[in-house]
Amino acid sequence: MTAKTINLTLKVWRQGRGEPIGRLETCRAENISKDMSFLEMIDVVNEQLTKDHQEPIAFDHDCREGICGMCGAVVNGRPHGHERETTLCQLHMRHFSDGDTIVIEPWRARAFPVIKDLVVDRSALDQIIQAGGYISVNTGGAPDANSLPIPKDTADAAFVPAACIGCGACVAACPNASAMLFVGAKVSQLSLLPQGRPEAAKRVSSMVRKMDELGFGNCSNETECEAECPKGISIIQIARMNREFFKARFS
Amino acid sequence: MSWFYDTIRTSIGKKLLMALTGLCFCLFLIIHLIGNLTLYGGQELFESYVKHLHALGPLIRVAETGLLTLAIIHVSTGCFLVWQNWMARPVRYQVNKNAGGRTIGSWTMPYTGFIILIFVAIHLSNFHFIDHDRQTVFQAMTATFTFLPYVIFYTLAVVVVAVHVSHGFWSLFQTLGANHPKYMPAIRGLGILFSLLVAAGFGFIPAFVGFIMN
Amino acid sequence: MKPDVTSDLTIDPKLDAKIPAGPLAEKWDRHRFDIKLVNPANKKKFEIIVVGTGLAGASAAASLAELGYPVKNFCIQDSPRRAHSIAAQGGINAAKNYANDGDSIRRLFYDTVKGGDFRAREANVYRLAQLSNHIIDHCVSQGIPFARDYGGFLDNRSFGGAQVSRTFYAKGQTGQQLLLGAYGALMRQVAGGMVTLFQRREMMELVVEDGRARGIVTRNLITGEMETHTAHAVVLATGGYGNVFYLSTNAMASNVTAAFRAYKSGAYFANPCFTQIHPTCIPVHGTFQSKLTLMSESLRNDGRVWVPKKPGDNRKPKDIPESERDYYLEAKYPSFGNLVPRDVASRNAKDQCDMDKGVGETRLAVYLDFADAIKRHGEGAIAGKYGNLFQMYEKITGENPYQTPMMIYPAVHYTMGGLWVDYNLMSTIPGLFVLGEANFSDHGANRLGASALMQGLADGYFVIPYTIGGYLAGASFGKTHTGSEAFKTAVNVAEQRVQKLMQVNGRRTVADFHRTLGGILWDHCGMARNEEGLTKAKGMVANLRKEFWEDVYVPGNAADFNQSLENAGRVADFLEFGELMIDDALARRESCGCHFNTAFQTEDNEALRDDENFCHVAAWEYAGDERSPLFHKEPLTFENVALTQRSYK
Repeated sequence: MTAKTINLTLKVWRQGRGEPIGRLETCRAENISKDMSFLEMIDVVNEQLTKDHQEPIAFDHDCREGICGMCGAVVNGRPHGHERETTLCQLHMRHFSDGDTIVIEPWRARAFPVIKDLVVDRSALDQIIQAGGYISVNTGGAPDANSLPIPKDTADAAFVPAACIGCGACVAACPNASAMLFVGAKVSQLSLLPQGRPEAAKRVSSMVRKMDELGFGNCSNETECEAECPKGISIIQIARMNREFFKARFS
Repeated sequence: MSWFYDTIRTSIGKKLLMALTGLCFCLFLIIHLIGNLTLYGGQELFESYVKHLHALGPLIRVAETGLLTLAIIHVSTGCFLVWQNWMARPVRYQVNKNAGGRTIGSWTMPYTGFIILIFVAIHLSNFHFIDHDRQTVFQAMTATFTFLPYVIFYTLAVVVVAVHVSHGFWSLFQTLGANHPKYMPAIRGLGILFSLLVAAGFGFIPAFVGFIMN
Repeated sequence: MKPDVTSDLTIDPKLDAKIPAGPLAEKWDRHRFDIKLVNPANKKKFEIIVVGTGLAGASAAASLAELGYPVKNFCIQDSPRRAHSIAAQGGINAAKNYANDGDSIRRLFYDTVKGGDFRAREANVYRLAQLSNHIIDHCVSQGIPFARDYGGFLDNRSFGGAQVSRTFYAKGQTGQQLLLGAYGALMRQVAGGMVTLFQRREMMELVVEDGRARGIVTRNLITGEMETHTAHAVVLATGGYGNVFYLSTNAMASNVTAAFRAYKSGAYFANPCFTQIHPTCIPVHGTFQSKLTLMSESLRNDGRVWVPKKPGDNRKPKDIPESERDYYLEAKYPSFGNLVPRDVASRNAKDQCDMDKGVGETRLAVYLDFADAIKRHGEGAIAGKYGNLFQMYEKITGENPYQTPMMIYPAVHYTMGGLWVDYNLMSTIPGLFVLGEANFSDHGANRLGASALMQGLADGYFVIPYTIGGYLAGASFGKTHTGSEAFKTAVNVAEQRVQKLMQVNGRRTVADFHRTLGGILWDHCGMARNEEGLTKAKGMVANLRKEFWEDVYVPGNAADFNQSLENAGRVADFLEFGELMIDDALARRESCGCHFNTAFQTEDNEALRDDENFCHVAAWEYAGDERSPLFHKEPLTFENVALTQRSYK
């Protein structure tokens, strides 16, 4: 049986708050149990750094079960690491080998400025949703839930893009730092459902405009986003958004 | 028309411009290729094709103007997109790794595009902007393709076009919103087939003209 | 010091639950009519602070803004969408009776009261059941992709031992979908200018002026600055305190700080010892484990729970012959077998491990074996039912549950206790409202599955928009500003606490203290408690707290993005709060629901309630740092249900 623990060399992006640029710094991760998650490995490193009276690595994380979308870093050039459909918190150290060197960088995009180390500001994604990623319904006036039957296939199709966790890995993975998969997922979910149709045209126009304003890049169909999406959301959602956009603009 | 301007200046609008102009160029490539295939039928067949083409007169001028406009749109939009995309990530990654989405065709689009632009300029100066009273296209061609460096350059350039098209073809469908799990694999396949066809169809011409016909 | 329980005979006037008169089914209706309304034109003059953006917070902020109140909404994460409501898997209950199987508002009410082992308020629970139907209607209109049948109508499943199918779901991501619906509604109000959003902010202090909640002090987690915000009412929707145990299924940032600060400002804390422990979680793998992952308890429908008969047996499961396996649940509870309720299953797993019959490396796990089910139904059928759960298990543990038995262990999952609130969801501080898991009101001593989402959204969408108006319309407000004495004092207190944490400059890390605290509470105030253990734990927690303030080391500086400092503040509060939990557990000399005191059990080892002496809500009042909290009680009266003893034999 192989050893239960491994030793690693980390090269971590360190950037102080307010610093325009950071640098990769090397530290050791010793005796890492293979059952740990990647974030638990960083916990161990941070615990050691703290004991050595050095500043621990700042990184975002919360639920640690792959659903909140808070965590994320680029590991050896791959957002959320190399495992498919896996968030960083669900990436386990058994996928690494003893002696590996791991380079950890933050999401990089003009729209995601670095706050500190691996922590970036993703409020741009909230701003895109504010531009129309919802159905305008006030609390209180809804008819009975079953008064509007929705074909199962439609509901299931809407669920697929609705699974987006808003982690921003698509932007990080995109060679152009484009947010098309994120926007496409929300536009698709709401345009598929009959409840979302009344404001579908307004929604897609306004969300796309907001996305452009915020400094994301343009989509060039490189499909890196769908390859890295921890929820496996496909560029079919982008194509659907494009259709919705043309429908909205040319009619 | 402000709605139109508003539309095409969005990121999706610019992509639409690239896709539509790209689609036109794909169609142009098909027509161009069909015309050029007459070469394999010998000098006479080819020259009669050229004659018929030139007989279209003003229509040719319209087509040329159209192609030039498309090229201006395609190239200027492309340049703008490349610049914007570059700006969207001011600090680059220290380690870059492909997750399996990118292809040679996709990541080289700006570079192959630039090479194609130069190639088209040379190509036009070789065969188009010549004194057609002193020299027929066929003569110009045989003159060019007996010179080995030109043969190599043209053949490689055609391969670059094929690489560009290998991403451009399916990509324009995606941009136009035509992505469906049932049909996308076929479109992807067609794109590969089309780029191979372009590579083979155009690619053998220089050698054929230079070494076989002569 | 023993908690002062002498005051329990005098009913504190502050603990008036303000339950409306009239028959149960009409109370909410009548109350809505009786509540004063705020003139629409005046709503813009009343500022409301909502802390938290989970199901309760986001839905409250959005609904209040829709009414025309200017709202300031705060969250600890980078985006409101990260709140831990997002991780709820199973579903949300509603008494729609779409399945035509005999469900009704009254049945949902009854199941919830009984499930809570008769330690919740009848009127609140009935209102919750009434509102459950509106929640589903509203969520569907928001575009939440609930599961549907082929006719296009909403699908239901049964859950948590209920005898009817009343759970609406969106695959295993119901919480995510509901939260994103509320988040969308919130974003709409942000875009409309009615909600101002403050991300990466932690509430440090509640500001009480002239006896009313008038604002909060927050720490900007990016810059470290203390910021002050005034309001006419403060709504806390800051979730539960499960992370006091260090390991729980909660998110890493979930904490008690906001609620605890409110407690220290005069809000009573109710039933803090009620914490739910879920039986089917992936076991702990080592010291540096940071959190526990829940798997749906539906697994127990087909899995058989067992441990080796011989203590200390460390053979591989496949090497242990059938005759040497102890299927302890099936043996002990022949009629319910592996399907006993959460608390019973959890407790029994702990008992087995205490007898050194636990399995796995840490010996803190029991097997959940699907071999028989696979033999009977085939691998395909089992994969169809539990495929995603098996996948998740394999991803985390690296073991294939089709071939080797799963290992499970209980984990802290939800806290029924919380700040005491009346029928209007207002705490004992006028103007301070508490919603969702942060309050105590609806689940008694044990929460049923798929009820947490229901409560969060009922509170936010359909209760607070009415009741807050009643408060605002009926109160007279003096002028306040962020420079007032009360605000200055609050900022001072917050700043001093931060300074103090930075200045200890000891040797132990924050996580180290947190882990130790969690261990103490898990061992002595977890699934089973007794007076001896609790008393011992009380001393241990007090010592640990002392040690913390002498030996903790917080790196970095206070005027920066400093996650160690954030954690230090939260752990400091957990260290005080942990003792309050123990006090509460000691004072409740009975067993009920999740609170299992080994001295009070039936012959069958079930929780033995003492309805004569303990049919009440225990509400604790802060009395000062060096003094024991004061005990108050709100008696619970049950006029519509008969108090019975649960049995699962």
